[in-house]
Amino acid sequence: MRRLVAVRLFHAVVVLFLVTTIAFFLLHFAPGDPFSFENPNIPGDVRDRMRAEFGYDRPLMEQYVRYMGSVASGNLGFSHLLRVPVTQALGTVLPRTLLLMGLALVISFALGIRLGVYEVRHWQKRRARASNGISLFIYSLPDFWLALMLLLTFAYWLPILPGGGMVDVVMHEYMGPGQAAWDRIKHLILPLTALVLIVTALIARYQRAALLEVLPSDFVRTARAKGVDERDIIGRHALRNALLPMITLAGLAFPALLGGAVFVEKVFSWPGMGLTLISAIGVRDYPLVVASVVVGAAMVVIGNLLADIAYGLADPRVRVR
Amino acid sequence: MRQLPPYSLFLVLLAAACADRASDTGGGTMVVVHAGSGTSPMLPPLAVDNLGRAIVDNVYERLAEIGPELNSIGDRGFTPRLARSWEWAADSMSIAFAIDPRAQWHDGRPVRASDVRFTLRLLKDPKAATQYASLLENVDSISVRDSLTAVAWFRKRTPEQFYDVAHQVYVLPEHVLKDIPPDKLATSEAAMRPMGSGRFRLARFEPGVRVELVADTAHYRGRPKLDRVIFSFVADPGAAVTQVMSGQADFFENLPADVLQRIDTSGVARSLRYPGLQYGFMLMNQRDPKRLAVAHPIFGDRRVRQAISMALDRQAMVRNIFDTLGMLGSGPFSKALADTTIVLPLFDRARAAALLDSAGWRVGPDGIRSRAGRPLRFGVMVPTSSQARMRYAVLIQEQLKSVGAQADNESIDIRAYVDRLQSGRFDALLLALATDPARSGVRQSWGTAAFPPAGQNFARYSNRTVDALFDSAATTFDRSRMEQQYHRAYQMLVDDAPAVWLYDPLTVAGVHKRVRVEGMRPDGWYVGLADWWIPANERIDRDRIGLRPAQP
Repeated sequence: MRRLVAVRLFHAVVVLFLVTTIAFFLLHFAPGDPFSFENPNIPGDVRDRMRAEFGYDRPLMEQYVRYMGSVASGNLGFSHLLRVPVTQALGTVLPRTLLLMGLALVISFALGIRLGVYEVRHWQKRRARASNGISLFIYSLPDFWLALMLLLTFAYWLPILPGGGMVDVVMHEYMGPGQAAWDRIKHLILPLTALVLIVTALIARYQRAALLEVLPSDFVRTARAKGVDERDIIGRHALRNALLPMITLAGLAFPALLGGAVFVEKVFSWPGMGLTLISAIGVRDYPLVVASVVVGAAMVVIGNLLADIAYGLADPRVRVR
Repeated sequence: MRQLPPYSLFLVLLAAACADRASDTGGGTMVVVHAGSGTSPMLPPLAVDNLGRAIVDNVYERLAEIGPELNSIGDRGFTPRLARSWEWAADSMSIAFAIDPRAQWHDGRPVRASDVRFTLRLLKDPKAATQYASLLENVDSISVRDSLTAVAWFRKRTPEQFYDVAHQVYVLPEHVLKDIPPDKLATSEAAMRPMGSGRFRLARFEPGVRVELVADTAHYRGRPKLDRVIFSFVADPGAAVTQVMSGQADFFENLPADVLQRIDTSGVARSLRYPGLQYGFMLMNQRDPKRLAVAHPIFGDRRVRQAISMALDRQAMVRNIFDTLGMLGSGPFSKALADTTIVLPLFDRARAAALLDSAGWRVGPDGIRSRAGRPLRFGVMVPTSSQARMRYAVLIQEQLKSVGAQADNESIDIRAYVDRLQSGRFDALLLALATDPARSGVRQSWGTAAFPPAGQNFARYSNRTVDALFDSAATTFDRSRMEQQYHRAYQMLVDDAPAVWLYDPLTVAGVHKRVRVEGMRPDGWYVGLADWWIPANERIDRDRIGLRPAQP
C-alpha cells in the first residue's frame, strides 16, 4: 500500500507540473488579459502601465519562468478578481464548495444506493417502475433549469426559503447560535436539494444496473438455494459486490467537488470554487485560474488514489494483485 | 388635578411628528445586489467598475460637488464638500480652496490642505497608472497656503478648470497612502480597505461575498439617513431579480426589461427609471484593421459611411430592441448632455443606394455591391455580454442587405472585444460609451489627439476643423459662442458619419418598496446614497439592528 501511495504521489507531482504549464499557456493564448476591462473609458496607455506593474508586458516565457518560480516558493500570485492573494482566495472559497458538495455527495450516495436497492427489491412491480421513472425524469432535467425552478418556487412563489447566499448577509451575525445554525441550514437547503436530486438519480440508476448484473451470479443462486431471505440476499450478498462500480463513481465524483457545482453556485449565489473559477476565467484572472486548475487536478489525483485504496479494501482480489 | 393648557395636544402631536421625522432620518439597512463576483480597487484613482465607483462616491469626498444640472463650466451650481468655500485669483490662474475645519478622516485625523496636494501628486504620478493623469493635465500643481487652504494652480484658463480640480479629484489621506509605492497601490491593503472622509465608512470587505458600508454618525455634514448599505455579490442576474422580488435584497441597478411588470406586481418591490450618460452607436473604423496607417478600404470613404447611416431605420430598431426603455440616439452624446438641434442623416434607402452608386459600389448578381472586385462586405463586432447589441447586430445585418451591403456579425467575448477595440482590429462595431459631464470630454472620444492608446477615439476619426472647433469651444468663456462652436463641431462630426447614432438606454432599477431613493445623478447613481431613507413605520427586521456591533 505504501508503495502504491508513493508511486501515486510521484505521478501527482508530474501531473500537476504538466497541468500548471498547459493551463498557463492556454490561458495566456486566449484573447484579452486582466486589464482588458469592459469599461472602454480607461485609456490604452493606462492599461499598458497596469500590465507593466504586474509583469504582463514581458515575454511569455519569462512570465512562465517567473510564475513557476513564485509557485515553487509558495506564492500563487494576486487575484485581480477578488483583490487578495490567491492562496487567501482559495482558502476562502474552497471550504464553501467542499461543504456544499461534500454534503451533497454523502446524501446522494446514501439515498441513491438505497433507491437502487429498493428498485431491485421490487423489480417489475409498479412502485419500482414509478421510482425508476421519477429518477429518470429528474436525471433528464437540465440541471440549470431545475435549480432555477427550485429558486423560483421556494424563494419567490412560496417565499419560505432564502434565494441565495450562504447566510443572511445582514441578520446572521446578530442571531444567537441556534438561529445562526438554522440560518445556515435554510441557505443550504435549496442548493443542496438541486444537487442531491440530480446526483441521487444518477447513482440510483448505476446502483440498480450493478445489482441487476450481480443477481444472476452463482453465489446469489447458492444463497437462494440455502434459503437465505431475499432481503438479505440483495442487501448483504449482492450489494457488497455491486458496490464496486460505486467506488469508481465516487472516485470520479470527488473532483466534481470543485467544478460540478458551478450551476448551483451561480443560481444560488453560493460563493464557492466553481463560481469563482468561472468568474476568474471571464476576467482573465491568470493567477487565480491557473491555481484553481491545479487544485482541480490535485482533486482528481486524490480522488483516484482514494478510489484505488477503497477498491483494495472492498475487493480482496485487488488487494492480492 | 392641574389642567393641561389647551395647546398641549398640539405640542404633543408636534413632538410626535418631530420624533417620527427624527427616526425617519436615521436608520435602516439596505442590501444592494451587485451582479458579479468581484470589484476593482476601491481607491478613487483605480476604481474602474460601477461597484468601485459606488464605494468611492460614498467613502471619499471631492472638494465640491457638481449640481444636478451637471454644469461643468465655471463654478455655477457646485456645492461645497471638503472645501467649504473657494476663491478665484484675479487672473483665474489659481483657485484657493478653504478646507472645512470640521472634516475628518474616518480614523479621526483632520483633513488638511496637504492631503489635497498629496492627492494631485499621486493622480499625476505615471507609476500610479491612474486614468486621471490626462484629465488633470491643466492642473499644474497644488500648494499649501496654510493647513486649511489648498491652492490649485492651472497651466491655462479654461471654462472647466474648476470642474477639473473640484470634481475629478477625490481627496485621499496622505498619512495612510504616503508610504505605499505608487506602483504597488493596486495590490495594497489600502486599495481594498479604503478610508476616506465621506459620509459612509467601509466596515467590511469579504471577497466574492460583500462590501459593507456603515454610516459615519459623527460626519461634519450630518450622518447618512441609512445606517448601513451592503453590496452583496450575486453571480446570476436572474437570481438577483428573484432576491429583489422576494425582499431578500433592496436594490438591483440593472433590471432586464422582461421582468419590469413582474417587479411592479410583486407587491414587494418597484421599478425605478433613472438617468445615465450612456449612448450606443455603430462605429465604423476609418483605418484598415490590418494596416492602421492606411484608410479603411470601405469606411475610408465618407459617402459609404453616410450611406450606411441612411440605410438603417434607427427608430424601428430602437423600438424593436428597447421598446420604451431606449431613446433614439441624437449624436455623439447622451440625452442628458445632448445638443438637440443637430441634424442627423435621415432614413432614406434610395438616397443611401445612390450614394453607394456614386462611390463606385455596384450591385452584383448576388445582390451584394462590389468595387474593383472587392465586395461591400465587413464585420460588425459585438460583445456577447450585451444582449441588446447582439440583437442590434442582427437587425443591422438584415437592413443593410437591402442596399447591397453584407455585414458579418462577430459576437465575441468581452475581453477579446476590448482587445480588438483598443488595437483597432475591426471593421465596424457596436459600442456603448458613458461620457462624463465635462463638455470638453468629447475630444477624448472624437479628437485626433485621442487615438488609442491615449484616448477613446477607437475609429481613429480625424477632422482638423472639428478638432479646432472643439479646442476653441473648450477655451471660450463666452457661453453663446461656446455653444455655437460646439454645435458646429458636432454637426460636422455627424455629417462625417464616423458612426451611426443608435440609442440611449434608459436604465431601470428594482427597488424595495420601503426604500426612498433620492438624487440619482446621471454621472453617479450612488452619489446621493447618504440621503436615501426608509420611513420609520415601514422598517423591517434588518432596519432595526441599528449600528450596534454583531454578536462576538
